[in-house]
Amino acid sequence: MVAQLSGSPRGEEQLARAEGTLTSNIVAVWRSRAVLGLLVRRDLTVKYQQSVLGYLWSLLEPLMVAATYWFIFGFLYKSKGDLDGSPYLIYLVAGLFSWTWTSGVLSEATTALTGQARLITTIKVPRQVFPIGRVFGKFFEFLAALPVVVLIAGIFASLGEYHFTWNLLFLPVAIVIQAIFLIGVALVLSSSNVLLRDVERFIRVLNRVLLYSAPILYPFSKVEHSGMPRWLLRVYEANPLVGIAQLHHGAWLPAEFPSLIQIAVTLTECVIMFIIGWYYFRRVEPAVLKEL
Amino acid sequence: MGEATIVAENVGVKFVRSRRRNTKLRDYFVQGGKRRLKVDEFWALRNLSFTINAGEAVGIIGRNGTGKSTLLKIVAGVLIPDEGCVTTYGRVAPLLELSAGFSNDLTGRENVQLVGALHGMGRDELRDKLPEIIEYAGDQVASAIDTPVRHYSSGMRVRLGFAVIAQLTHPILLVDEVLAVGDREFRAKCYKTIEQMLSEGRTLFLVSHNENDLKRFCQRGIYINAGNLEVDGPITDALDAYNGLVHT
Repeated sequence: MVAQLSGSPRGEEQLARAEGTLTSNIVAVWRSRAVLGLLVRRDLTVKYQQSVLGYLWSLLEPLMVAATYWFIFGFLYKSKGDLDGSPYLIYLVAGLFSWTWTSGVLSEATTALTGQARLITTIKVPRQVFPIGRVFGKFFEFLAALPVVVLIAGIFASLGEYHFTWNLLFLPVAIVIQAIFLIGVALVLSSSNVLLRDVERFIRVLNRVLLYSAPILYPFSKVEHSGMPRWLLRVYEANPLVGIAQLHHGAWLPAEFPSLIQIAVTLTECVIMFIIGWYYFRRVEPAVLKEL
Repeated sequence: MGEATIVAENVGVKFVRSRRRNTKLRDYFVQGGKRRLKVDEFWALRNLSFTINAGEAVGIIGRNGTGKSTLLKIVAGVLIPDEGCVTTYGRVAPLLELSAGFSNDLTGRENVQLVGALHGMGRDELRDKLPEIIEYAGDQVASAIDTPVRHYSSGMRVRLGFAVIAQLTHPILLVDEVLAVGDREFRAKCYKTIEQMLSEGRTLFLVSHNENDLKRFCQRGIYINAGNLEVDGPITDALDAYNGLVHT
């Protein structure tokens, strides 16, 4: 079951400065997917073991955040009007939970290498496994919270204010695109934080700002109709987080579905981020290992 | 002599003494992006070449800070050399830091499963060997196997860590002074295990300051001084060279 950690079938292994190409790197990580699974499971076990409520936290935390935002933006500011009549609450949770995944990765990826330095400097495993593990760990928390969205949508459906559509089939697409993006980001953040500890703090600040850079609390249409110059709108849309958020929204609310061009742009950006992440990680890996 | 298992070609590693870790973002801006990294570069190891054959037991000797552990890390694959390369034929069992990889919040049993799997043991293999591992680690550990490792003494951790590695079937063993830990009884057990591993034809790569250990296990010695390979020959020659330097 457990795959060979690395090396060719003969067990021969070369440890040199330029360790293989991008594809051979990805293959090495793929071979270590059993290790990846173990590390993710370990992180989740530790996380849930220490708290009484355990898994419930994965539901409670996003729910409480969602309830707060819903009170402010849905109730006090009545964002409902900009959504073609679809329920704001569904819009909010669909986007917010995907954002929780992103922000969780941003903050936890920074410590993916620094936090497990002793493990990394004694056991040979492709180092990319550690940041990627954080992406998956947070993904499972996202999955765990997904039933909440289903439940809320179900309630609105029973009230006749919402219909489940086949658009939901796009949810896995949204997830895959987001995962590609987050893996790239996690690879960059984890390794740069070893060399420059400021990254960790910087991300903490950035995390708060980024929440408002994408249509999560407010509807996308508000930005479109805000009368901002065309070029500024393009800049706004170029943010991959916008495309990812709209894909998630579109899966639940067909009216929100992004244009094909936007999807193509987002996908391209995410793939570029993924490739940058791998190249960057491989480039700084020798320095990172010395510093750990 | 068997086939080559570890081949090092012109290995070199350089470190930066003024660690970049201490360079804050502020410094980058203050200096206007100019880096002064070149100031304190030094080569921890340079131009190291050797070939180790299957079944050989090699002792690495040298004063503190001459790059012995660095070399071990490179062979273990947890450090990437700046120059040259090391090729290993066969999997490597690193006994670098025995209790590394243990999560404090997991129980002894869970940790064994985790670390065993990280070292490449299969799930079935682990299940079969778990009783053996626990027994090897001793009564104290056995009775605490289902409590979090946080509550273990450092000795217990090391015992458990060694117990896992003792079950690995990897052909190359890297040992870094771990024999110095544990009480006398456990040390005797470690020696026996290592001797048994050697008799199975595995390759041993041992870093130690203990002459008795070195003479006991190794036939060949590599003496490193200031990052350079000075002697590569019979263990006694290497030890003589080392002692010659230390005593004068």
